[in-house]
Amino acid sequence: MNPMEKNKWPPGDLVIWIFIMAELLAFGVFFSVYAFTRANHVELFNTYQLTLDRNAALINTLALITSSYFVVRAVSAIRKDNSKRCFHWLLGALFMGVVFLAVKSMEYNHHFSHGVNLNTNTFYMFYLSLTVFHFLHVILGMIILSAVALKARAGGYSAQEHTGVETGASYWHMVDLVWMVLFPLVYVMR
Amino acid sequence: MKYESQKVAKLYFIAAIGLFVGQILFGLIMGAQYVIGDFLFPEIPFNVARMVHTNLLIVWLLFGFMGAAYYLVPEEAETELFAPWLAYLMFWIFLVAGAATILGYLLVPYATLAELTMNDLLPTMGREFLEQPTITKIGIVIVALSFLFNIGMTILKGRKTVVNLVLLMGLTGLAVFFLFAFYNPTNLVMDKYYWWWVVHLWVEGVWELILGAILAFILIKTTGVDREVIEKWLYIIIAMTLITGIIGTGHHYYWIGAPEFWQWFGSIFSAMEPIPFFMMTVYAFNMVNKRRRNHPNKAAVLWALGTAVMAFLGAGVWGFLHTLAPVNYYTHGTQITAAHGHMAFYGAYVMIVLAMISYSMPLMRGREACNSARSQSMEMWSFWLMTISMVFITLFLTGAGILQVYLQRFSDNPMDFMVVQDKIALFYWLREITGFVFLIGLTLYVVSFFVGKNDPEATVELSK
Amino acid sequence: MTEKKTFIRPCTWIYLLLMALTFVTWFIGTQQFSGLQISLMVLGFALLKGQLIGDYFMGLKQVSGFWRWVITIWLLLVGSLIAFAFNIAA
Repeated sequence: MNPMEKNKWPPGDLVIWIFIMAELLAFGVFFSVYAFTRANHVELFNTYQLTLDRNAALINTLALITSSYFVVRAVSAIRKDNSKRCFHWLLGALFMGVVFLAVKSMEYNHHFSHGVNLNTNTFYMFYLSLTVFHFLHVILGMIILSAVALKARAGGYSAQEHTGVETGASYWHMVDLVWMVLFPLVYVMR
Repeated sequence: MKYESQKVAKLYFIAAIGLFVGQILFGLIMGAQYVIGDFLFPEIPFNVARMVHTNLLIVWLLFGFMGAAYYLVPEEAETELFAPWLAYLMFWIFLVAGAATILGYLLVPYATLAELTMNDLLPTMGREFLEQPTITKIGIVIVALSFLFNIGMTILKGRKTVVNLVLLMGLTGLAVFFLFAFYNPTNLVMDKYYWWWVVHLWVEGVWELILGAILAFILIKTTGVDREVIEKWLYIIIAMTLITGIIGTGHHYYWIGAPEFWQWFGSIFSAMEPIPFFMMTVYAFNMVNKRRRNHPNKAAVLWALGTAVMAFLGAGVWGFLHTLAPVNYYTHGTQITAAHGHMAFYGAYVMIVLAMISYSMPLMRGREACNSARSQSMEMWSFWLMTISMVFITLFLTGAGILQVYLQRFSDNPMDFMVVQDKIALFYWLREITGFVFLIGLTLYVVSFFVGKNDPEATVELSK
Repeated sequence: MTEKKTFIRPCTWIYLLLMALTFVTWFIGTQQFSGLQISLMVLGFALLKGQLIGDYFMGLKQVSGFWRWVITIWLLLVGSLIAFAFNIAA
């Protein structure tokens, strides 16, 4: 095959890409609204941003990137017809997802026990909304990856037919991609 | 018509059209009352006319949805309806209960109606669109459950297609959310909070599933495009509907005393509610462009495409115009709201029911595929008259609304409500006149069922 | 069936690069560096990371046409809006 030849369509089912675009739209709007609202409350945002746990966010970012990397390896494995290996890489990705959820939960626990909620102030409202919204998508992504992993283990995919794996992978990468913007935007930029 | 029991739909559709005519007559009464304040007072005061107008709308659309389901579900499931006798029984119960309720509104004072129907045993009266006596509401629940049972059993014993399942999901949601009409918190904020669980989650939620499924059915039948393609689009559309519409409920929570974060959530998510309507438009036109056959029922295809466009404009665009909190702060409860409401309901729900009737009625009356050219022509005239006049009604009300918002709320020296109403009266006159054009369109629509009955069916060549 | 191109070893490099950029951002965060220039730089890193994920992890580098650029367009759009907002805030 000519190595310069490209594919016309992105990997996986096109439907998931429509979905991905919709998700990116939602998050994109949310991020923009955050940034513009911040412009009206710079002091407030700068002050309360400091109460966030940057170390937890580091672990979470590393976890998601690693998780995505594992998913890439999983797709490679199934492209070489290795279902078992694909399954193992997906398990690794899921484990990293669990790490993310656990660390994030600890962060929330800390904030909630200090009485922080959606009504505390505008910064916290955004912080909680954005990260919870993302959190839910991590869960959804993990459900999708689990379904794919189970099917891979049962030998449901092959080198010739593994659209499902690519579809689930694409969605997961989107979840990671969104966090790539969220982390610096909310935790670092001031 | 492949299955005998599909014929049940005919009765539902006839009732639907009859009630639609009633709805418009009362709309015209109110339109007149906007400019001639004591028109028909005290026999039919404005608030009574309003109850009749809005309640008739909902009831006739429900008849329409049920008729649509009774027609398309047996065909999709490839089996006869589970219990046609039940469908006939429920039809008469619903019609009689509905008629009695409307007569109740018209003939006795509302408080008396409440007393007569023993509202105090389980009070549910007194809220907009949910003015029905509690016993009527209970009747609606019984009718809805029987209907769901009938349709559900039919799908269970037959083929489970995506169209069927999405329709069933939508109808089930309709029934479930109606139950919130029985929940009446004493706290006014909570009262309003849950009221929207009926209204918003109906028209900006589960009703969109019903709309999508019926539209998909009509497109499959009239374009011959692969079912899988149409069904895939349907999935994406309803996913977008639910994703944007559920949290989008927050755009009704801005000013009722709910926490401030709703102004953010509601704005962000409801801003995206036009997306499924935009997709529906692209999808409908795409399917028709890629069609594999020229279906001779041109009227039905016109209604289907028209639905997508008008739903997008009325619900999507006009909805977007006043959905963001900073804008809604000024426009809330003004003629802007009325403009959106009319075009949205007409575009999305009136038109899809008319599209379904347009497609199925000829078949139920013994035609092979469609009505005669003469009948279709008159029907298409009625389409244009009603649709164009609705566009103008919306434009006039939008004009009224912009002026109202400016004079009453935005300007440096805001004016009194009634003073402003006086100043925007011209728009109301224009709206009323246009309303009569709409009525002409509706009349033509009804007449179209009776012309050309003995003429031959339109064929593809004739309707090119 | 067309064999799709695969990226493994390049992906491992990309992975390491993503991790490194993350550490830099985190470090800036712990030091609480502030100001428009720093913020825009951090934003730039974020967009770069996003582009790398799109190109290599999502495999869009191997795609031709509109879909090749869908992530890039999103990153540029959202990035510009954020940059603009931070600019007017400063």
